[in-house]
Amino acid sequence: MVIEELSLLNASHFVKAYQDIINAFKQWRIWVLLGWQDIQLRYRRSILGPFWLTLSIAITIYSMGFLYGHLFKMDLQVYFPYLATGILTWNLISTSLIEATDSFVNSEAYIKQIKLPYSCFILRMMFRNTVIFLHNVLAFIPLIFIFHIPVNGYSLLILPALLLICVNIVIYGNVLAIIGTRYRDIAPIINSLIQVAFFLTPIMWMPDLLPDRYHFAVHWNPFAHFLNLLRQPLLGQPFSAETLYMITIITIFGLISFSLLFAKARSRIIYWL
Amino acid sequence: MAAINLDSVSIEFPIYNMDARSLKKRLISFSTGGTLLKGAHESIIVKALDNINIKLENNDSVGLIGSNGAGKSTLLRLLAGIYEPTQGRIGVKGKISTILDMSLGLNPEATGYENIIMRGILLGYTKKQILAKLDEIAEFTELGGYLSAPVRTYSTGMMVRLAFGVVTSIEPEILLLDEIVGAGDASFIEKARARLTNLIKNSNIVVLSSHSLDIIEQLCNKVIILQKGQLKFFGDCKEGLEKYKSHMY
Repeated sequence: MVIEELSLLNASHFVKAYQDIINAFKQWRIWVLLGWQDIQLRYRRSILGPFWLTLSIAITIYSMGFLYGHLFKMDLQVYFPYLATGILTWNLISTSLIEATDSFVNSEAYIKQIKLPYSCFILRMMFRNTVIFLHNVLAFIPLIFIFHIPVNGYSLLILPALLLICVNIVIYGNVLAIIGTRYRDIAPIINSLIQVAFFLTPIMWMPDLLPDRYHFAVHWNPFAHFLNLLRQPLLGQPFSAETLYMITIITIFGLISFSLLFAKARSRIIYWL
Repeated sequence: MAAINLDSVSIEFPIYNMDARSLKKRLISFSTGGTLLKGAHESIIVKALDNINIKLENNDSVGLIGSNGAGKSTLLRLLAGIYEPTQGRIGVKGKISTILDMSLGLNPEATGYENIIMRGILLGYTKKQILAKLDEIAEFTELGGYLSAPVRTYSTGMMVRLAFGVVTSIEPEILLLDEIVGAGDASFIEKARARLTNLIKNSNIVVLSSHSLDIIEQLCNKVIILQKGQLKFFGDCKEGLEKYKSHMY
């Protein structure tokens, strides 16, 4: 009986899914506050507070920059900014994907006690990670002076790039959260896939080091394009056409799968918790 | 004007065993044709609410009674919109406030004041609106200087005072309450009851679940008796309580 009703995907399911998102945006106070509180809570009794994030990412970037720059025998002038922007962006994307899978599970207390749109919890996660990213970006600023990274009109593209990434975090985050609530072993699976993706994505290495016949591994790697999306404006360069093209396709694909899945599963999520 | 209308509503819960939750087990059971691992992803379905028909209108203050597991909390969550019915229709008109879990959103590291604002926002207020109520809430809780201290330093009773003070500062049209009068010293309980009575008077519709028949007799004019997910009685408070006490339902 229940399964039959689930397969009946009528218009009202889509309307309700759509309303969920709209209402979540209307209740921005809740997810902004919860997301902010998440960060505060982690660093409440420490001296540096959230700037511990800046410090730890700075240590990672500066030590890896020197080590790998010399290992790969790269020009530090080129490699250092490349690696730094890569790590910063990767941190935002990977943390968001990993945290997305259990965002509903971890919010069980809220979901069961108070009527809130499900997207609120994804937006909370997105907001938290964006704020963390903005703290992390501070570690990049000294590099601008050390390596004379151009700051120009293209730098303004950071904002639309960040917005596009946030949109995708919300879309794919919702999808992952739904699946992760129904099947509890999705979280560890995503965790290990992300670790593999770290090595397959040009974060520490540059695509030109790859033989031509393996270039498809970069062209078809969605992470590589999201990385480029932020990396290019951070380095004062315009977006490349290929990146924009791929991001558009990924976003549209995400929107479609999100609408279908969310419309179908939304009312069931509570029963899976 | 508030109204609630339940039209033959049922809720069915799937209860998953561990195997049904695992993607790996699911894949294996596909590959073995499902015969060897028969039952691996079977789940039990529990009918938590069975064909409920209720109409509530303005000035209805309803007490929800029934033994443990009768479906009281499920019904409250259904009314709150947290659960959606698997069968039937539900219509709700009016702004709903639910107080199911008082300590929801209490952050032990944050101060009493910060928690008041936090909970207020969860209840749907703007920061401005809560700040306007802050003094009144602070006064009710009698916590004084402790409101500037982190909640982790509070005793249980103090936490109840804080949570109760915030959640009862709302002005809902429809109020849903789950077993909320409990801890605290005698003078506080009396004060809490007075505040609750006031809150109930100011709401258009109240649904209150409680095991204490005294409280229901005092605060309600109608009663719903649930048993094993079925509606056994819906009507006048006195009549319902008589029936409940004598097990005549």
